[in-house]
Amino acid sequence: MNWQAVALTAKLASLVSLILLVLGLPLAYWIAYSRWRWKFLVEAVVALPLVLPPTVLGFYVLVAIGAQSPIGRWYQHWTGHSFAFSFQGLLIASVLYSLPFAVQPFAVAFAQVDRNLLAASSVLGSSRTQTFFRIIMPLSLTGILAGVILSFAHTVGEFGVVLMVGGNIPGVTQTISIDIYDRVQDLDYAAANQTALLLLAFSFIVLSVVYAANRQLWRGWLSK
Amino acid sequence: MSSPISLDVRISKRFAARHHQFSLDVQFSAPAGVTVLFGPSGSGKTTILECIAGLLTPDSGRIALNENSKQSVLFDSQSRVNLPANTRNLGYVFQTLALFPHLTVEENVGYGLSRLPSHERTGQVDAILESFHIPHLSRQRPDRISGGERQRVALARSLVTRPRALLLDEPLSALDYETKSKIIADLRAMTRVHRIPVIYVTHALDEVFALGERVITLEKGSIVKQGSPSEVLATEREQLIRELQGANI
Repeated sequence: MNWQAVALTAKLASLVSLILLVLGLPLAYWIAYSRWRWKFLVEAVVALPLVLPPTVLGFYVLVAIGAQSPIGRWYQHWTGHSFAFSFQGLLIASVLYSLPFAVQPFAVAFAQVDRNLLAASSVLGSSRTQTFFRIIMPLSLTGILAGVILSFAHTVGEFGVVLMVGGNIPGVTQTISIDIYDRVQDLDYAAANQTALLLLAFSFIVLSVVYAANRQLWRGWLSK
Repeated sequence: MSSPISLDVRISKRFAARHHQFSLDVQFSAPAGVTVLFGPSGSGKTTILECIAGLLTPDSGRIALNENSKQSVLFDSQSRVNLPANTRNLGYVFQTLALFPHLTVEENVGYGLSRLPSHERTGQVDAILESFHIPHLSRQRPDRISGGERQRVALARSLVTRPRALLLDEPLSALDYETKSKIIADLRAMTRVHRIPVIYVTHALDEVFALGERVITLEKGSIVKQGSPSEVLATEREQLIRELQGANI
């Protein structure tokens, strides 16, 4: 087992989930409650990674952060390193790639909160921010949990984007899905099987947790 | 304690959907005590409450509270005043009650007092739960208590913040006759203590006669009549009495 790849994948997925929690909550709030007539365009952009081939997304991220791009040049100037084929570049690409897996469950959960509760909170003197933290967040816990877990799991399993943006640098951008690919290329099926089994078991557990959360088992436990 | 003498409302609001148009044009003044807005579904009763509370913005008009010689404008389309709902300091009991399901009864009732120090908040919550005869429910969640108890919690929550006016949207519609009578008695006692304008929306005639000091009847967004219940709803009252006699109640 390539523990270095396992650790790197865990670090990448944790950071992606954390960033998507911070960025995804306000974005999902806006999607759930905005009455802007062109909102569907933003929703379509957020959902793009669901249908785009990872290579297409990876290609455009590579172009955007490559050495010839303004962002790439700026990054190189300040850090002395290339943005593409770095952990940071991989992190940006992974955040974009997993965006809908966090934002959509958040937005669905927010939209399901009874509007009368929000009105009651407002009449009782709470601002929108206070209502978000005191009413919307606690009542959307299962959706938020599902979004965080799904974005983590999706990052763990990503392959095309990693290969395009990160390459295959051990300890820097080599994740477990790339490691499995490497092992198969080397005809080391036993090692590939070990890592693949780990991913399979992990994915099964994650999906079980998400479905359990959707059945609101957690809410029952949390309220005890 | 100085209380607002009246709530003056003059509002217009239009809604247009593909196959349906609705326009609301009303003007009335509600002094301290209960004013009932009576009318069929779709006559604009809830829309009026939502405009007063700041949950909906009227197209034009003015909403103001007159407290002694002082006037507090909540909405004025001419001078472009439109206070946000969370700064109007009004009480609102929703038709669905809108109790927060993840909070206990005492947390629900204390929700609007979050700026107070904890001991002060607890004291005020305990006192109002006592006055509504529900201190034993303080640690229960709303889904664990009866409809009548939920009603009392909603009323306590809306009154504990000492609102300048109270808006009640068909609060007793889902209750049985006995529970309704008890809560009406509580409401009458409450309006004797808190001399604030109370706007009570209903389409139930028995509630109008049990509670209303004044009644405003509405139809299709306009006021049809206003005055005391016995004047305004004389015909309906006779019909209600006949129905009650027929039912042997």
